[in-house]
Amino acid sequence: MDDLQYFKDAAASNEWSLIWPEISVGLLALSLLVVEMLVPKMKNRLVPMIAMIGLSVITVTLVLSWVGMGVSYGESFAGLLFQSGFGESMRLFFLLGGLFICFLGYVTLQGRAIPRVEFFHIVLVVTAALMLLAQSNHFVMIFITLETVTIGFYILVSYFRNQPISLEAGLKYLILGGLSTGLLLFGIALLYGAAGNPQLAGATAEGLNLQALRAFLLNHGDHTLAVAGMLLVLFGIAFKVAVFPFQIWVPDVYQGAPTAVTAFLGVCSKAAGFALMIILVTRTFNVETMTSITVPLLSLMAIFSLLYGNLTALTQQNTKRLMGLSGISHAGFLLAGVVAAVHVDWAVWAVVFYLFSYMFSSFAVFGVMAFVEGKNPGEGEELIDYTGLYQRSPFLGTVLGIGLGSLAGIPPLVGFIGKALVFIALFQAGLYVLLLVGALSVAISIFYYFGWMRTAFFGDGPDTEKDYPAIEVPLPKRVPLAIIAGITVFLGFIQVPLAAVLGL
Amino acid sequence: MLDFLFYFLAALTLGSAFMVVASRNAVNAAMFLIVTVAGVAGLFVLLGAYFLAVLQILVYAGAVVVLFLFVIMLLDDGGEAKVKPTAVSIGASLAAFMLLLLGVLSFLGGPELVDTGAAQATETPIGANLQEYGRQLFSVYLLPVQVAGFLLLIAMIGVILISKRHQEEALEE
Repeated sequence: MDDLQYFKDAAASNEWSLIWPEISVGLLALSLLVVEMLVPKMKNRLVPMIAMIGLSVITVTLVLSWVGMGVSYGESFAGLLFQSGFGESMRLFFLLGGLFICFLGYVTLQGRAIPRVEFFHIVLVVTAALMLLAQSNHFVMIFITLETVTIGFYILVSYFRNQPISLEAGLKYLILGGLSTGLLLFGIALLYGAAGNPQLAGATAEGLNLQALRAFLLNHGDHTLAVAGMLLVLFGIAFKVAVFPFQIWVPDVYQGAPTAVTAFLGVCSKAAGFALMIILVTRTFNVETMTSITVPLLSLMAIFSLLYGNLTALTQQNTKRLMGLSGISHAGFLLAGVVAAVHVDWAVWAVVFYLFSYMFSSFAVFGVMAFVEGKNPGEGEELIDYTGLYQRSPFLGTVLGIGLGSLAGIPPLVGFIGKALVFIALFQAGLYVLLLVGALSVAISIFYYFGWMRTAFFGDGPDTEKDYPAIEVPLPKRVPLAIIAGITVFLGFIQVPLAAVLGL
Repeated sequence: MLDFLFYFLAALTLGSAFMVVASRNAVNAAMFLIVTVAGVAGLFVLLGAYFLAVLQILVYAGAVVVLFLFVIMLLDDGGEAKVKPTAVSIGASLAAFMLLLLGVLSFLGGPELVDTGAAQATETPIGANLQEYGRQLFSVYLLPVQVAGFLLLIAMIGVILISKRHQEEALEE
């Protein structure tokens, strides 16, 4: 073939303009390094500002582009990516997530003798990779974006390199992350091998492309190699989203990581895993021979995650560990939503809505944690450090109350709507056992979320004033927290804006 | 001849892989790992994937294992450590072995493995020859290559960040 023609054809299929948000975020990340070199004196103030303003501009432009031009659908990059309403909403999700993590990082890193610029750079690169991941349609794309995310997290978790607990968390995450990557890769290889076997009818050399793989699985969904590969891929992702029995790393890593990174890990990394779950379980492995395995298996994992996360969180005194363990139960809810989505089409949007509601509510809580914690490792992380928080800072107390209430699923807040949607989806899919366990676990979770709230609002300690000084939050730093808390309340009453974005 | 080569290389790979686990000296284990990697490279050559074979030697035998050796020699843990197998490790190994056995058994006699000679892939797989590999890498797979560039960038920054003993940064707010 003529070489020039070959490259012309390939170039024509690479529609770079479709991924302008990811390219902009990547360029923004690079520009931070340039700023550090050009104005080293100003970098600590300038860099977070540039990162946050840049991300806000990209987010607003993305939403405006939907209004102006609509959402594009279909394959691009010769099948590497697949544009859809789901991918677009996850793009918005990760942009908002990255934006708030930059703010949290700004708060957490302030006043510490630690490099700043690299934090924002890595957060931006990871954000761009997450956005691509949600639109992937090809195992090469999935793997390379997931690895970019994971490697970014290895660095971020051990970011406080002068604190042994942070390094220990980084090492644990590195080893278990490596294991999960191994499982995922092995599964991909088995699927590719099964799909490429020329002895089978309908074999394809494009086994890495999800659509081609699905076409193969329609005929050979019960093939041993394919089933083994599918299971390994799902287990590899289960590590990332931390559902039972792959949750073992959560408490230590969440505790050791800097608070901003804990929030990033708990919200965006989890959401990435669930975006993959949705792409794979409901779009690729949704052939009858495979759903007969995935539905019972994932249901069981969801049930155990719901129970394990809530029961272990009951006695937890460290707030970061508590958020991690309760995050496992939220992962159980999300997994239940994914299972429902196998049979009920709109349940995908219930999962996405739950992800958004989980993001806003947990960011409210993590935002408060970033202000309460001290500069030394472990300082201000225990539940007892929240004694009388409402008296010490009415603003932080209110935000914490809203966030925790929403996580627990109390009616006027957005968390309630998210849980209600998942329950309706489960009911329609006929998964009554999951529904029952979900309702039970909501009841358990209210217990520990309200315990935290009681400490913060009514405070048990005798000399509250003496032991726990008031916390001053300057006005500019109140704004993002107030916005997050406002959205959490607002979406609880009126879901139209988010529903319009999601196309519900 | 090809059959003999395959069995020879497979035995070499498996034998040396076993020795990696079994040898008590860390340096010896790393050396056996090189043999394992070379054996796998030989198997790639038999499959016609010459480029993969070269990469296997260059990257794994040439760089990764040498790095292992550096670390082992720098650490110098002083002689042979005796690690007794625990109940958990024995159980885990047995479980892994049973799974492997199950996998092998489930394919023995399967219809797709009866006639290996006739199977010929119609399309050239990626990585079979260097030219096709490069062509695909810089046309169809250009986007993943770009992402990989960012991956390497943050990996590099991360290594510097975590390993460098940075001065106390001036605190300006």
